[in-house]
Amino acid sequence: MSAASPAHEKPPSAPAIASPISSLRARKNVDTLVGLGLAGGYVTWLLATARSLGFSRDEGFYFTAARDYERWFVLLLDSPRKAMERSAIDAIWQNNHEHPSLMKSLFAISHWLFFNKWKVFADESTAFRLPGMLMMGLAIYVTYIFSARHFSRRAGLVSALALGLMPRVFYHAHLACFDVPIMAMWISCVYAYWRAEGGGNRLGSTHAARGSLGWAVLAGLVFGLALETKHNAWMLPAVFVPHAVFVLGVHGRAMVQSLAKTSRIVAPASLVSMAILGPLIFLLLWPWMWNDTIARLIEYVNFHIHHEYYNIEFLGRTYFGPPSPKAYMPVMILATVPTATIVLFLIGAVDRVRILVMRVMRAASSLAGGRDRAETDVLILLALAVPLMPFLLPHTPIFGGTKHWMPAYPFLAILAGRGFDIVWSQLDACVLSRMPLHGNKARVARVSEVTAIALTFSGALAVTVHSHPFGLSTYVPFFGGTAGGADLGLNRQFWGFTTQSLDPYFQKNTKSGDTVYIMDTAWPSWARLVEEKRVPPWLRGVSSPAEATFSIVHHEQHMNEVDYNIWTEYRSSTPHTVLTHDGVPIITVYKKSPNHR
Amino acid sequence: MLDTCKRTYKLRHVLSRSGTLLAWTLSAVPLVGVAELAVHIKQTTSDVVTEAQWNAARDVVKAEATDDDLILFAPFWADPLGRRAFGDTLSGIKKEARADESRFARAFEVSIRGAHRRELAQWRKVSERQVGPFTIGVYENPAKKKILADVLDEVGPERMTVTRVDASGTETPCGWQRGVGQPGGLAVPQGPAVPGDRFVCPGGGYVGAAIVDDDEHHPHLCLFATGTGTTRIRVHNVTFGEFLAGHAGVQWMTDRSPTAERIELAFSAFDRPIGHHSHKVGSGWVSFEFSTPEFAGKRGDLVANVTSSSSASARHFCFEANTR
Repeated sequence: MSAASPAHEKPPSAPAIASPISSLRARKNVDTLVGLGLAGGYVTWLLATARSLGFSRDEGFYFTAARDYERWFVLLLDSPRKAMERSAIDAIWQNNHEHPSLMKSLFAISHWLFFNKWKVFADESTAFRLPGMLMMGLAIYVTYIFSARHFSRRAGLVSALALGLMPRVFYHAHLACFDVPIMAMWISCVYAYWRAEGGGNRLGSTHAARGSLGWAVLAGLVFGLALETKHNAWMLPAVFVPHAVFVLGVHGRAMVQSLAKTSRIVAPASLVSMAILGPLIFLLLWPWMWNDTIARLIEYVNFHIHHEYYNIEFLGRTYFGPPSPKAYMPVMILATVPTATIVLFLIGAVDRVRILVMRVMRAASSLAGGRDRAETDVLILLALAVPLMPFLLPHTPIFGGTKHWMPAYPFLAILAGRGFDIVWSQLDACVLSRMPLHGNKARVARVSEVTAIALTFSGALAVTVHSHPFGLSTYVPFFGGTAGGADLGLNRQFWGFTTQSLDPYFQKNTKSGDTVYIMDTAWPSWARLVEEKRVPPWLRGVSSPAEATFSIVHHEQHMNEVDYNIWTEYRSSTPHTVLTHDGVPIITVYKKSPNHR
Repeated sequence: MLDTCKRTYKLRHVLSRSGTLLAWTLSAVPLVGVAELAVHIKQTTSDVVTEAQWNAARDVVKAEATDDDLILFAPFWADPLGRRAFGDTLSGIKKEARADESRFARAFEVSIRGAHRRELAQWRKVSERQVGPFTIGVYENPAKKKILADVLDEVGPERMTVTRVDASGTETPCGWQRGVGQPGGLAVPQGPAVPGDRFVCPGGGYVGAAIVDDDEHHPHLCLFATGTGTTRIRVHNVTFGEFLAGHAGVQWMTDRSPTAERIELAFSAFDRPIGHHSHKVGSGWVSFEFSTPEFAGKRGDLVANVTSSSSASARHFCFEANTR
């Protein structure tokens, strides 16, 4: 497999090496602009589609927590001393204290500024959701920059597209939740560490293979923020430590020689920074931890170590406890990540692993001779593997569907970017180079490149656009689409967020005084739906079909019992309507007979 | 020497050809995206079965089906769509939440996507036709069982009495109550619905018809008999046949965690024991059958004693029984 090589593998005569510093800066600026453009475009897309997506269970709880935290921030400004009293802290920050505070604090601040103060958004929920969307923008940006710096701008573009055009990622990116934010913090932290260790510096740069203290400090800061985002971040050392050991093992001799010459410390400064700043920021940004710190830390750890297993269907069976099926993670990735992306990822991954293995097969001296002192391939593979590995263990709960391993996706996308570089080089060699293009070669090549990218992601784009607002019901076309997922017995949805999609039905079929059994919709989520008129405001939610005029069932296998219980109560098994996506039931609605007692 | 050269040439030729093939294969990767798009368009347009198509299938079946025919929708996930289109007349609770298929002589399978219900695996296909995206198959049951009396048809104070039996054998009546049921709240799993119409026993527990969600998440209409100790259900004036048959099970959330615990279900009639089913939690929705040739053709009271030592599993235990 011959292909365009990553920037650091280019021979000494490669243009990048010969480029002057100004050229490098210009390139950096272009990359920054392209990255920001991609991120901004994606966030705009999320904002434009936010109104049509209902509220998930967890969002409802985080809305409530964010409102409480907002009160504390206001108190902090008005009366700092009072805000710092234990009674004030504990009363407010005990809400949802099983999760760190960063995102909920951002939801609160965003709500305070963009809804209450400046009235930027008409919907309170959009203000709550904005930080999560911006985190997705950050993930897109860093994915682009990482891939562009390590491989090529083309690869960067493809990586950003690959990440953004995953239906599940698109769904989660709308939410005021933590799963996309931790994905963004994961890649940001890996990126900062990589830069600190000299990665991403173009050959010829004065900082090549050295990194900088600034990036090391930033890595520590980002690690702290990641810890404060979600507990997945505690797995980051499993990326950095083995990577640092590998680098030390491969380049140790050269580093020692460098130490002798420059008296610089060999230990990666970023690791030291992360070890110091990470826990510090984690504690400083979480007021709940300011009192009874040890006991509350233990409670936090125990909550996640002994987390309840929720029900989730996989291949026709509902799992509710260990052992979790080992095939879950790989099958769900194949079933939910567009196939073109998977193919590109496999090409890219095989390429990088092949090169790595070839280097390892050679003598240690050859290994050390590699130009990439940051050992970026090893870092990417570790950052990809670490979020996935727990899902091969029997005791890891699988109820989150794909969201719990999303931190791996930017790296899957980066390798897909590399895969496209290889595909493009073959296209160039097999097709373009054989065409009589004369003077238009560069222009035709550029148009062909854009066309090839567009064709590659045409399916992913269509599936992602079409998936909204049923992202969790969507399976990729080669798995049969939504109906194929139902055929295979894969989870149809969770969190009860699809209730909003019944609005047209409710508008037409309900009247003032009607009541709805809201089933899997959380109370705060329902309240927000009503408040924002996403469902008719005359509807009153109730907690039992016995009290309701209309009862709904969100289709998940283990929720069949709700269906059957409604049959028992209503003495009928005939739905009044069935909300579908691509012909597959999402919600069944029953209407109580007027003759019912 | 010549052989070595030939071999080297051949190897190079093979490598060169495989390299070219790989290069062209890689060049074709963008077509994966195009193929993905094409399949997606098909799946989200022509493959989607519309409400009008469901209604057309219903009209075809309605023209032929009788009240005694079973109607099944395949795949099982399409069941809500089938129920919406076919309604309670063609496909009501009794058919949807049947104990099994043995009492039906004929079945219509309304199928999309080439799916087939495994319940009909042993049935004889009589006919099959295409109606739009549907395959409507008509099947005959090679082993149809004629039901003489069904306990579920007798639930109510007119034909049934329920008592709690204490250790000394003293019976305390459970009173019949009509009203609003308790079909669960917002928490899931929520357990089976407590039916509005039921016998309420002193000290807790009830007997009433509701639907159990079995370990495969399929529904079965049955008689819940809850509470610890022994509950006696007496069904009056039952016509007996050669057999007494039925099924028993517990709600899925109890059934999925097997225990050593058993719930005892003992039948008797004319003061003579008929049979005894010892139900093991975790065994699923299971059938039982007892031979009753000595009672065939007679009419009398059928007595069922349900005994459980655990309130947890007793709360979720139900059964159905019929004479054949």
